[in-house]
Amino acid sequence: MSWLSRQFPTRVIALIPVAIAINIVLGYTVQTVLKLPIYLDSIGTILVGVLAGPIAGAVTGFASNIIWQYAPGIGGGTIGPFAITAAVIGLLAGLWGYLGVYRPRPAAGARLWLAALVGIAIIVLLASRIYGNPAYADPDFFVPWYSTAILIVGIVMSIAVAAAVLLRRDTSGAWVAVAGAVTGIVAALVSAPISAYVFGGVTGGGTDVLVAALRQGGADVFNASLGQGFFSDPIDKTITSFVVFVVLASLSRRVVARFPLGERVVTPEPAAA
Amino acid sequence: MQPSDPAASAASAGPPGVPAFVQRPPEGAYRRLNPTTKLVIAVVEALTAFVLRGWTGLVIVLALVVVTAAVARIGRAMLPFMLATIPLIASILLVNTFLYPGATDAIVRIGPLTPSWSGLEFATQAALRVVAFALSVAVFGLTTRPDDLVSDLERRGLGRRVGFVISATLRTVPRILQRAGEITEAQRARGMDTEGGIWRRVRGVLPLAGPLIFGALTDVEEQAMALEARAFSAPARRTVLRTFPDSPAQRTLRWALLATLLLVVGLSVSGRLEFLP
Repeated sequence: MSWLSRQFPTRVIALIPVAIAINIVLGYTVQTVLKLPIYLDSIGTILVGVLAGPIAGAVTGFASNIIWQYAPGIGGGTIGPFAITAAVIGLLAGLWGYLGVYRPRPAAGARLWLAALVGIAIIVLLASRIYGNPAYADPDFFVPWYSTAILIVGIVMSIAVAAAVLLRRDTSGAWVAVAGAVTGIVAALVSAPISAYVFGGVTGGGTDVLVAALRQGGADVFNASLGQGFFSDPIDKTITSFVVFVVLASLSRRVVARFPLGERVVTPEPAAA
Repeated sequence: MQPSDPAASAASAGPPGVPAFVQRPPEGAYRRLNPTTKLVIAVVEALTAFVLRGWTGLVIVLALVVVTAAVARIGRAMLPFMLATIPLIASILLVNTFLYPGATDAIVRIGPLTPSWSGLEFATQAALRVVAFALSVAVFGLTTRPDDLVSDLERRGLGRRVGFVISATLRTVPRILQRAGEITEAQRARGMDTEGGIWRRVRGVLPLAGPLIFGALTDVEEQAMALEARAFSAPARRTVLRTFPDSPAQRTLRWALLATLLLVVGLSVSGRLEFLP
């Protein structure tokens, strides 16, 4: 038990409610005020995961969805069962934090271009698993433009990674993008069975259009949900990861370093000249 | 869109001059139950609706929810929760009825659209499952104050950290929601576009998320210090100020419900009951 309670010092306990509130409020605002077809409801989860480790991240994600379901007025109609997905996202964020993915790595010249290329290569590799795969080209399961859509998503994400690396002069952008994309793919894999078996594949959001399109193309309940997830989640989680990266880079080093994994997130102090 | 708390306003409507923490004992057979009993009832109802496939589980749970809502006299307060599920239900019904994979028993053929009976049945079940789930949580939420639940769970041995996270979140959400509204209006005054094309709205995310997150995170440091100053991490067990009546009958009911849930889950997973569609 002491191992478990060591994961939750008072500072983390104070951070978790704020992170959950950020998840709920930002998710609600982005989906209804800005009316965007993404979720953006895991910024707090990833933030806690990166700063305080996998267990704290998983707890934040799980509690976010349960409390959102319970909070009246801001309508979490179907959010509760996806608590499992949110917990997995928090676990992964803890892993990325432990590996130091979010630590800024200033660089210049050839190393910047190399990092941008590596980031793009990994995204292209992930996308090509779907793009070139005959299973996804099968007209019995997917709409004809599914491959094209994946291609466009891959290109947009590659441009975003390259821009992040080159404009910020920081090779971490590539790793953050890859971490976000991997988180998104895992989230899609975990969400699809929940969405299919609990809600019949339809969750009442903007993503239902995509599910309907895939069903029209002949996909069954599960594959339609999975196809929708592979489309929405990597984009959403990559954007979320970048938001967290920018937030962490802008917070004062003193604040960040006091969290359990803080020293893996801040830049090492430059040697006194 | 402030989250309302009808249970709190009902409880604080005592005679004038009486402080808010002196509460009238709740009335009615359901409301008088211990908060933990109500939580167990809600959780078992919600999970049963998902685990028990076919019509049986749905009908049982919906009947239970309607009866408890009637006993607790919150029929009117349940209306917003019913209305909130309408877009979801419409979506479930339309997509599944018209696009159910592999359905051959068409109801009618309208051009390219062929609604099917099997799709309609699947859709109705999925929709009712969502309603049963949402309403069982709503009945609990409308009759139980979060503070009461947390104090009662803490008396039963829930760690103060978990208790703090739950109650602090429920207090923080309305505050941050209000702040998000203020930031949106402030950024609109500075020309942020929340109505234009998709690219303009995407660019609106950072001016909203940035101030919201930084504002919230600045509070964390102070809160951590305030908690430490009040011996939050002291190892001793705390006493509780408020206790809620419990009875052996309720304890039996709780364990019986949990045992039933385990039984139902076990039977479903082992395939003895109708499980996955």
